[in-house]
Amino acid sequence: MQETDEEIALRVQKGETELFGELVERYQTKLLRYGRKFLSDSDDVKDIVQDIFIKSYQNIQSFDTSRRFSPWIYRIAHNEYVNALKRRAARHTVFDFDIDTLLPHLAAPDTADSATMERDLRATLEAHLDKLDAKYREPLILYYLESMDYKEISDILQIPVSTVGVRLGRARARLKEIAGDTII
Amino acid sequence: MNDDTSFKQSVMQRIAKGSIQMRPRWHFVLLSTLFAVGVLIFLLALMYAVSLLVFFLHQSGAWFAPSFGARGWFSFFRSLPWLLVLLLGVFVIVLEVLVRRYSFVYKKSLLTSVLVLFAAVLFGGFAVSQTPLHRQLTLFARHGVLPPFIGDLYRPPFRLRSDDVFDGVIVATTSHGVVMSDEEDDATTSVIIGPHTRLPYGANFTPGDRIIVVGDRDDDVIEAFGIREVENEEEYESER
Repeated sequence: MQETDEEIALRVQKGETELFGELVERYQTKLLRYGRKFLSDSDDVKDIVQDIFIKSYQNIQSFDTSRRFSPWIYRIAHNEYVNALKRRAARHTVFDFDIDTLLPHLAAPDTADSATMERDLRATLEAHLDKLDAKYREPLILYYLESMDYKEISDILQIPVSTVGVRLGRARARLKEIAGDTII
Repeated sequence: MNDDTSFKQSVMQRIAKGSIQMRPRWHFVLLSTLFAVGVLIFLLALMYAVSLLVFFLHQSGAWFAPSFGARGWFSFFRSLPWLLVLLLGVFVIVLEVLVRRYSFVYKKSLLTSVLVLFAAVLFGGFAVSQTPLHRQLTLFARHGVLPPFIGDLYRPPFRLRSDDVFDGVIVATTSHGVVMSDEEDDATTSVIIGPHTRLPYGANFTPGDRIIVVGDRDDDVIEAFGIREVENEEEYESER
């Protein structure tokens, strides 16, 4: 039976450093895809992904093996990609205040046609993703392309679970505006 | 570049050569402990500042002014050092930014966590103000055993009040009201109690009572809008 990411991470922490390569293999494609979508296929994504693995190795002793490895490494990736976006942007605010996190929101329950909607959305994401703000692009990528749940996205972005739902809702609405009748 | 192999090769070669090192666990334990201790000290410092504010308002009498109704509340708010209150608000926001890295904080909305922090600082500060800490430090300051800055902070008179709040000790009662001694000098002030004077705890004043008065002063006469005895101050007075 294949070892879980967390089991491998634990063995790396205990000194079997060569096993870190297994984690690199498992996550390199995902992180490249995430980076290319998030940074709109920037040339430096490969360098950034390499930095993510280096930082993951350097900091792996801070990983709590009782929790899931995936949100932990995606959090590092998120920070690296956000830093890359800030470096690229001419304007850069030190304090990124986000009104979505200000008020408590109720998480919207999934509706019966959610699955159909997801399929349609997934199909149109590729074409229109780069037209969305990074704030809305990122939860869409994590939810639809990386198949993460709200809680994992909440841990990666460090925002309330309900805010994940709000951002996804707004991102879907924005996509609908952009793509017109091709979705929903 | 073949993505499937290049990352693994590149990273593992650097690990093997020792050009990238795994930071030891104690490094993260130390960092998170220092951070948590720093946050705790910051939180306690804010509670201390709030408790000091409550203590000063208590000592100046402004704390009791709201018992006289709307005008009392107005006097109370005028007594507040708003720059310090604003600064405390800013520090609570800074504290929020610091603790937002913890999952039990970022999983809450910003408004909820800021309100909880404000409540914690206010209630914590109020709780500390109810302990003998500040009174004890005031006594130490009086005996000159505190370092200069702290000593100056705790040296009366505590002037944290608006110009219509007064306190003193009754030296005599008259047909118009009472005569009270000003604690800062040896002068006395006549306090006129009229039909509109608010007496939330009655008018049974006797010489020796410490009172708080809200009213308009004209030389050594105060037309009292509200007057009340301040309870539980005898012990403190005898200490002073």
